[in-house]
Amino acid sequence: MPFAYAATDLPIRPKTVDAHRQSWEIIANPGRWWTGAERVEIARVARAARDFDAPTTELLPEAAVYAIQKLVVDNANLSREWYEETVASEGMTEDRYVELVAVVVHALSIDEFHRALGLELEPLPESASGEPTRERPAQADQRYSWPPIVPKDGLNPGDEMLYGPLDWGANVISALSLIPENVRWLHDLSEGHYLSFAEMRQPDPLRAISRPQIELIAARVSALNECFY
Amino acid sequence: MLRESSKRSGSLDSLNLQGAVDPGSDSGVPHGSLLTAFAEAAVRRTDALPGLRERIAAELGPQELVDAAGVVANFQRMVRIADGCGIPLDEFTRDATDDVRDDLGLHAFASAANTA
Repeated sequence: MPFAYAATDLPIRPKTVDAHRQSWEIIANPGRWWTGAERVEIARVARAARDFDAPTTELLPEAAVYAIQKLVVDNANLSREWYEETVASEGMTEDRYVELVAVVVHALSIDEFHRALGLELEPLPESASGEPTRERPAQADQRYSWPPIVPKDGLNPGDEMLYGPLDWGANVISALSLIPENVRWLHDLSEGHYLSFAEMRQPDPLRAISRPQIELIAARVSALNECFY
Repeated sequence: MLRESSKRSGSLDSLNLQGAVDPGSDSGVPHGSLLTAFAEAAVRRTDALPGLRERIAAELGPQELVDAAGVVANFQRMVRIADGCGIPLDEFTRDATDDVRDDLGLHAFASAANTA
């Protein structure tokens, strides 16, 4: 079983462990536009990029490898021009880009949790066989962000509430929704690392540190990454 | 979110937002300097990280350390979603932060271009 945390006495929350295991399973399986093997490879390249290492890979298009590296180590300097060039490159599309971003950021987040606590990184999962579904939601719509998003009525059943009262959620919640499963994934790892979407509207106590302490850390991390959002 | 949560907790008067962007400024949040130093060491992966982990575990507690690491990990993800998709500020955030973004120097960030 991955993420056993047997080598540490630190009190890792069960929801965190669940979210990590779920993420590894999601990464290992075929998505809409990448195979399981390609998705695990995306996570491998992302892990190496954090060490400023650039492993060779024959599984991914060159533009995908470059995009992974930019997302991990040069995220403060992404631009619309770069995005448009990336999705127009050989082997890339808007849909493949969004799925790639989701795999990169979720795998990176779990690795960063381990690094912050001085824990060994979890071995990446074995990929599952199967083909991507290659299904683009009919409701995909170009709104405010570079890739199209999917409004509430295009999400998977049961996930519509994650957008709240609007027909799309806060911009960062809907940003990866061109792959609707990403909205649930975003939520579940948020709950494991930070707060669930519902908890974000609730008063303290929510975690062992206070909400102002949580948001101060969040603001500092955002500032260090030069993230305006 | 920092200002809003401080308002809800009744500590808005002591909050100094510069503490979020300037490590030399006291945020006014309890243990804020220790927590932001930990966040910076984790993001930048500096040699200070092990010592800061020990201090948080000793001064706040091991669950507090784990929860702080979770927040770092979460926002290492969220910033990349935001900047990787070029999303603009939400309208309510834009309105609520209109008075502080210049003071904090946020318009110098390249990703400010995503918000008209």
